[in-house]
Amino acid sequence: MIASLARPGASLLHRTPAARKLAGLALAATVLFFVEDARLLAGAVLVGLVAARSTGATFAAIGRDLKGPALVLAVLGLVDWWLIDGTTALVVVLRLGAIALLAHAVTVTTTTAELTEVMERLFLPAERLGLLDASRAALTVTLAIRFVPLITQEAREIRAAQAARGLEGSILALAVPLLVRIVVRAETLADAIDARGFPPDRSSSGRDQETNERPRSP
Amino acid sequence: MTTRDISLVALMAAVIVALGLVPAIPLSAGVPITLQSMGVMLAGLILGPKRGAAAVLVVIALVALGLPVLSGGRGGLGVFVGPTAGFLFGWVLAAFVAGFLAQVFEASEKSTLVRTVQLSGAAILGGIVVLYACGILWLAFFVKMGLVKAFWVSVVFTPGDLVKAIAAALITVQVRRAVAIERK
Repeated sequence: MIASLARPGASLLHRTPAARKLAGLALAATVLFFVEDARLLAGAVLVGLVAARSTGATFAAIGRDLKGPALVLAVLGLVDWWLIDGTTALVVVLRLGAIALLAHAVTVTTTTAELTEVMERLFLPAERLGLLDASRAALTVTLAIRFVPLITQEAREIRAAQAARGLEGSILALAVPLLVRIVVRAETLADAIDARGFPPDRSSSGRDQETNERPRSP
Repeated sequence: MTTRDISLVALMAAVIVALGLVPAIPLSAGVPITLQSMGVMLAGLILGPKRGAAAVLVVIALVALGLPVLSGGRGGLGVFVGPTAGFLFGWVLAAFVAGFLAQVFEASEKSTLVRTVQLSGAAILGGIVVLYACGILWLAFFVKMGLVKAFWVSVVFTPGDLVKAIAAALITVQVRRAVAIERK
């Protein structure tokens, strides 16, 4: 598994249902795009800081987590300041900074399991429209999470083997064997999934979801 | 989608993530490049338009799930509303277009050279032209930078991407020589 960005905790944001946090974030981001007043946006940054701090993270930790976005923001701000004017630069940096802080607060307080649940719920309307199969889509995402460490491991092995042969730095020599292994492995994986009878038929999978809500009878 | 499609899409998504984790490889000129955007081109060129785009969608779902799957350990919902989000969403279209063109070019028997050139073209059109169009439009309108400025800020990254497009084509030719796989 890949380590999630979420941190354990018991803050108000940790206890808020994931769907509500996501809806709130989407709403906040949308509203902020229409706000042009630097003072209001500075207020939003303050709210973002309070939200991020309320998760139990120290300001130093928040700074560490948001170093990458901060760098991008700094470049954007400088470009805007240089090419347009200081006010525009300030508005852009404050707006994106506020959104980054709010998004960070949600990301840190929501586990992958909670988000997967929301995602499956979001898949359902698409399934009803015939756009995708929710259980297959969820399986694909889960498989990808599961296979990242294995692929990284294989990539490392291949690179080590190349280094031993003095081929370091060749993208081709890494990617070709890696991808060939992946395609072959996909065949094996598909056979394994088929052998286990996936996907379960629609009616039974629906019942399974309902029984999850109730304690199982012994 | 068959089970085989599912596992190919999931594994290719995992490859895109893994390529983001591999430390940047220094080119001969000393410019470090990350391999993640090449993974997007490869998804289209190797799997074809629909499955390639699906693999990218899976990566985007992983980002939404708060996993640090983008190069440099980025992830989480902030990415979707950040200034470079257009490039992330553009990946879907990029993989689709690259895959679609690869499918179109597939038709007849050709020499390796011709095939490599055609696949490079597919990767450049999808992975650079279409991708940058999405990224630049996002920068121009959501970050309110204006088209011209957004263009010049983005265009600095094209030399690295050109190298990746050609590398992706070379890799695709070799991989498809080793394993039979239909584009769809």
